[in-house]
Amino acid sequence: MIQSSTGAPENMKEAKALRCDWIVLPMLGLLTIALTLASTEAIARGMFFQTKTTAESCMVLNDPSTGTRGIPGCVCWEKMGENQPVEYRFNSSGYRAEAEFGPKPPGRYRIVIVGSSFAMGMRVPMEEVLSTRLPAELSDQTGRRVEIFNEGMAGKGGSPRSVALRFNDALAAKPDMILWILTPWDIHYVSRIMPEDDMPAGNRVFWGRTRRLVKESLARKSIPEALHGLSEAVASRLIADRTRLMLQHFLYENQSLCVKSYLRGGDEEAGFLRAEPSTEWQGRLGQFGNYAAELERRARAAGIPLVAVFLPERAQAAMISMGEWPPDYDPYKLDDELHFIITSHGGTYIDILPEFRGIPNPEQGYFPVDGHLNAGGHAVISRLLARELTGGAIPALKISAQQPAALEQRR
Amino acid sequence: MDTASFQFVLFGLAAALVSNFSRSCLRRSIVLLAASVVFLGLLAHNPLVFLPLAGFLILGYIGLFLIERGVSRSFAWSVVFVLFAYIWLKKYTFLPAGLFLHSPYFTLGLSYIFFRVLHLLIEAGDANEKRHIGLGAYLLYTLNFTTFVSGPIQRYDEFAQDQFASEPIALGPRAIGSQLERIVRGFFKVNVLAMLLHAVQQDALVQISQPLPPSLKLYAAFKLAVVYPFFLYANFSGYIDIVIALARLMRVRLPENFDRPFSASSFIDFWNRWHITLSTWLKTYVYNPLLVALMRRISSLALQPFLGVFCFFVTFFLIGVWHGRTSEFIIFGIMQGGGVATNKLWQLELIRALGRKSYTALAKNPVYISFGRGLTFSWFAFTLFWFWANWKQIDKIFAAIGVAQWLGVWLAIWLSATVILASWEWLRAQLLSIKTAEGPLLTSRYARVVYASALGLVALVMTTLLNQPAPDIVYKAF
Repeated sequence: MIQSSTGAPENMKEAKALRCDWIVLPMLGLLTIALTLASTEAIARGMFFQTKTTAESCMVLNDPSTGTRGIPGCVCWEKMGENQPVEYRFNSSGYRAEAEFGPKPPGRYRIVIVGSSFAMGMRVPMEEVLSTRLPAELSDQTGRRVEIFNEGMAGKGGSPRSVALRFNDALAAKPDMILWILTPWDIHYVSRIMPEDDMPAGNRVFWGRTRRLVKESLARKSIPEALHGLSEAVASRLIADRTRLMLQHFLYENQSLCVKSYLRGGDEEAGFLRAEPSTEWQGRLGQFGNYAAELERRARAAGIPLVAVFLPERAQAAMISMGEWPPDYDPYKLDDELHFIITSHGGTYIDILPEFRGIPNPEQGYFPVDGHLNAGGHAVISRLLARELTGGAIPALKISAQQPAALEQRR
Repeated sequence: MDTASFQFVLFGLAAALVSNFSRSCLRRSIVLLAASVVFLGLLAHNPLVFLPLAGFLILGYIGLFLIERGVSRSFAWSVVFVLFAYIWLKKYTFLPAGLFLHSPYFTLGLSYIFFRVLHLLIEAGDANEKRHIGLGAYLLYTLNFTTFVSGPIQRYDEFAQDQFASEPIALGPRAIGSQLERIVRGFFKVNVLAMLLHAVQQDALVQISQPLPPSLKLYAAFKLAVVYPFFLYANFSGYIDIVIALARLMRVRLPENFDRPFSASSFIDFWNRWHITLSTWLKTYVYNPLLVALMRRISSLALQPFLGVFCFFVTFFLIGVWHGRTSEFIIFGIMQGGGVATNKLWQLELIRALGRKSYTALAKNPVYISFGRGLTFSWFAFTLFWFWANWKQIDKIFAAIGVAQWLGVWLAIWLSATVILASWEWLRAQLLSIKTAEGPLLTSRYARVVYASALGLVALVMTTLLNQPAPDIVYKAF
């Protein structure tokens, strides 16, 4: 009796504390989640801020006669999370260049670069871009004065169809060589010339994507899989874009995570790495062959050699460097296909992919999430291209046996 | 389903929910058996692949049946048959390849079933143990889905005490909350921590043979050695956290398998904290009987301390060898046995040189403990090369840098492990010293809700972002 009379208030306190816990603990959990999400987003916004203007601010996106192209004389700034602020300055011809494209001075070896965002140097300051570095390297190695007109255009302006639409610009510069820089993106969007015009508005995108994710989850085979899909749908809706960018940026700095995640991207994203490409990719390659044939014919008619080079995607470069990949994949497959297409139409193909075997962590030459080459990546590609171009692929740029010693003396 | 996946957790929670619909031991047992059968069905769709496993279980049960009925020599024969059947089904490479079954069959969980069956046979053979285990109880114990894939290795009497209790153990809101928090922690360890550590290790493995500057190669070697023990711990202990919590929600208490192993100050202490149920099993059924048998035969007092050293070596050599079927695991076993035996010899030598009192004082010295902890970690990390790599990879790893450089790396690992683990122990003690009336603040239910919510969120976000399954539970392969 004595025990029960003294224990009763204690038990009541305990019961009350337990009742409070039913409210306090879930609230505490929710508060933790909310604070974690908010603070991470705040940090991400600080670290990966983005400007309102982008390279597209200086582009005409909806001209079907030229595809996406630059606005002549336009200057704009861009910072897209991972990169440093970059200035895009377009010359009067509508291409990203510090100087105007003028007539070729005597003795000058002129190269016109065509291609997409890798060629244009998206997200990278002009002085670090391949088209700025390569002339210096080639001039140093060959002793000739080499200049480059960069006619690369980001977005759909770099697709083979767009390149074909603006090819007269390249021919009009009367170059000694046209260098076509290709990426998997160019094959994927081989005949697109403008951004998709059916993009829904922001709010519709949010609810549309959510509905799609939920639909996909419910269509899965088992209840656990469906629930897992739903939880992922909730998580993907919970994460703000900047938080997602920050986390992916740090995660994808790791080579094996970057490769594994990329390969799980499905046929649309990673199908070009398949040892047996899908019918969609084979169709795209077929279309690419048509554009390549057309460009090769026009270049030949103008008496200008067309040289193509394929630059790997980030994960592809990492796979080649690691020297191992899952059995159904082959990082060289697309390179081989392009090589065959270009040479079968009489063009010259420079194969730099095998060089990535000897480059440790080549994925560091790319922005981890954005996937474009960074300044380091442009330097690597420039070095590899210079080596190949002067190694005999282009007779006019070949270094003769005596040249290195003479150049050394001159320096 | 054979990993600590979201699907596995949901399956376990559903089974726990159904199990709690009734307090009757029979109904709970039916639910556990049904869940275990469904679990097996989800692991392999062709019933034929289960035939060898079924044969193994029947063999074990016949042995148990005969021993319980006192048939002469049935104990010895049963143990021999079960041992041979295990070695044969696991395809140990020292057996001729022609002996093996060549059609594919299911061996997942076989090692852990083997330990449970052998435990039943040995206990049944013990003259003091008189009990009858029915086929239903036998199947429940051996096929229990919470311990099927990678343990922990539970004793039958502990299992029966909870599973067959007329009044099942209590499961209140606090216990449920604690188990859910443990599931979240385990899920985070396997699906985030282990995945990231595995990725770092994979990168280091690639980097060590790339044309990098020497300093970067040394760093890659350092990472390669250091990261794997943490990965293995996160991978295995995370899975164990999940299954212990799921079993508890089904009102069965599974034994703990880890006790902060990297806090161990010696290699002997380490094996008291790492895969505890395995080392306890082998200590019970190998170390103790072997030591008793040797002490009966060798009466020399001078030699007796060394008998313990020898028994340690044999026991931990077997632990190492159990992990795999190839010659790499023989080296791993020698290193485990050698490590524990050397540790014991060191203790004996110090006691002889300093006297027991001084040795006890030394063993309590924080600096001595810290260096011992660092040495234990670095030795374990070093031995793990023979655990995860094959001979080709081992050759590549050790050829990547010179012998002197490897010694330098190992020394760096020892010293940094000494400092970092000591700092961690100090920090942990400081944090736990912040107390409220109910105990340390950090272990209060409020703090646990906070970090479980944060870990759960991080786990969900990371698995969504990475869009790839976590590495398999390493110990399911053994």
